[in-house]
Amino acid sequence: MTVFKLDPEVYKRYKDEVLKLCNSFQKIDQPGLSDKQIAERLGLDERTVTEIRCVAERDCYSLDEWEKAIEFKRRATLEWSALALKRPDLKPE
Amino acid sequence: MADVPSGAAKQLKSVALKSGATVCGIADAAAFDAHAPAKHRPGDLLPGARSVVVVGGAQPREGDWAATSPWVMQTMGTTERIQGVGRRLAQYVESELGYYALYVPPGTASGETPFLSLMLAAQLAGLGSRSLAGPVLNRDHGFMYWSAVITTAPFEPDSAETTPACPASPCREMWDREGTTPCLRTCPSSDGGCLAGKLENGRAVQTFYDAARCHTRVHTHWVGGFQKVLEESLNEPDREKRKMLLYGDFFTRSLWAITYSSTNIAQCFECMRVCPAAHGLKEMK
Amino acid sequence: MTREEQVKAVGLKAGARVVGIAAVEAFREKVPDGYRPDDILPGARSVVVAGGDGPTAGAWRCPDHRVMEITGYDLRENVAVHAMCDFIEGTLSHKALQAPSLPVHGHEPPMSMMHAAELAGLGTRSLAAHIILNPEYGLLYYAALITTLPLEPDAPLAEPACPHPGCAAMYRRIGTTPCLRVCPACLAGTVQDGRIQTSTYDREKCHSRAQTYGIGSFQKGLLQIVNEDDPARRRTMIYSDFFTKSIQSLGFFRDSIAQCFECMRVCPVGRKYRKLQ
Repeated sequence: MTVFKLDPEVYKRYKDEVLKLCNSFQKIDQPGLSDKQIAERLGLDERTVTEIRCVAERDCYSLDEWEKAIEFKRRATLEWSALALKRPDLKPE
Repeated sequence: MADVPSGAAKQLKSVALKSGATVCGIADAAAFDAHAPAKHRPGDLLPGARSVVVVGGAQPREGDWAATSPWVMQTMGTTERIQGVGRRLAQYVESELGYYALYVPPGTASGETPFLSLMLAAQLAGLGSRSLAGPVLNRDHGFMYWSAVITTAPFEPDSAETTPACPASPCREMWDREGTTPCLRTCPSSDGGCLAGKLENGRAVQTFYDAARCHTRVHTHWVGGFQKVLEESLNEPDREKRKMLLYGDFFTRSLWAITYSSTNIAQCFECMRVCPAAHGLKEMK
Repeated sequence: MTREEQVKAVGLKAGARVVGIAAVEAFREKVPDGYRPDDILPGARSVVVAGGDGPTAGAWRCPDHRVMEITGYDLRENVAVHAMCDFIEGTLSHKALQAPSLPVHGHEPPMSMMHAAELAGLGTRSLAAHIILNPEYGLLYYAALITTLPLEPDAPLAEPACPHPGCAAMYRRIGTTPCLRVCPACLAGTVQDGRIQTSTYDREKCHSRAQTYGIGSFQKGLLQIVNEDDPARRRTMIYSDFFTKSIQSLGFFRDSIAQCFECMRVCPVGRKYRKLQ
């Protein structure tokens, strides 16, 4: 047995469902299900659900989202600084 | 060379305990020569070394040993707390006594080899003795973490322990009855584990320790695991399967452990969990 | 001093900003099997939660967002938890352990510090990523201990910290609040009669912002690198600013714990502590 490897077909089949049921997309005061609870619901074993969830969390958004995050923070910080510190020269282009 | 002021060792130990150590002892730097390989002796790290000050403490709490979740001790380790004491003592020796002091880095020189064996230092400083399972156990406090400071200060060394904590009397009785002890039974090399040993007349006369296997348990999610998954990913021709490896639970956990290494540094304690000399020495509710 | 006061005093002296106590039973209602305090420590009776400060007031004023990305914290709430554990075991002779709060499977920790803080009366969930806001101090970071010591618990807060009256008024006027307006990518919600009516939080998108350089970005960067067949392009990826910062954040974890504060930057709760000279 080598390092634990999830079957990509199993992953593709269940990833959206697992993401929906876990804590990835949260509604206040409605906790997501545990891996064990998701496994019971989907008829999978808990280990497989854990593996699907881990991969799906990381796979959910592409690296483009990380680029957007860098730009978002740059702009948001400067906009706030321009307003709160009364420094219009800091306002981003 | 001038001697240290009278009472300096006592004062040093007092500072160590006030700083958070549970125990503090001093070893003669020359005593390492008979046991440690060349390049891993005090004088190799600090030329002119005369003493090695060793502190022990920051041990897992009774609550940690009682936890049924393995994640407690794997992710909330307390080793770092004794390292701070070591660093402080090094500064103390230099600033208060005017001798060179070198805090022994707890990491490895290369591969799995430490700069100086902290376990050997603890033994030579009279703070404990090796157990069948490997870790050095202190008679009063059991399993602890260690930190050491090499110094040119000529402190009077403490004597080594004469009566080892291991094997404890329940273990000697178990050996007489069943030919094994709690640690050997929990992790037997004959059944995929790390340990083997033999007692005779209440003393350990033979020990075996599979360090490479133990590494997969103590450092399950660590540099080695990271390297293994990376190698497998590079050798995996299917891109989707590569994603499963690099985004998977094992690799993600390994990265967390590497990132939060100070508290994730030790990930298996099973031989110590069952050891009657390692903990449980104080009544706890 | 009562035992509760003694334990809290130890935590506050060690650097916690706030300390609260929750009963283990309180976790049963919303916490699934396997993630409750007594799943972790058999015989557990109490959970003591410490809240510690985040960035300094000065850090909040820096126009360069990168500064707060790598400033990190002194993690005093963890120091406070250790001090209280030592006290509970050393002086009160009851078992105690630091509650495991680091993710162990993907994003998931063995126990939720946010929920523990709520139950210990230290704060309430907010529109902003459901962050637990302390009504006095706003954003704090939480650590907890689990113990067999029976302690009188504090009650969860009756009045929510969020929405702040200013935010409720803003919602009435323009249908949004400062945090919802600054980060619609991660947050959505509604306010009615001065209370949160609905609130959603996209944790995975937030991850790309709160942990821009970290384990996730390292994994994503690495996958791209191993999938790249062209050695020259691969080389530029390996040595890129993004991948370099990702590796650095693995090494300097204390300095890279949280990397996006925009919803909290505009939050009025606790803001008075950020107004200095």
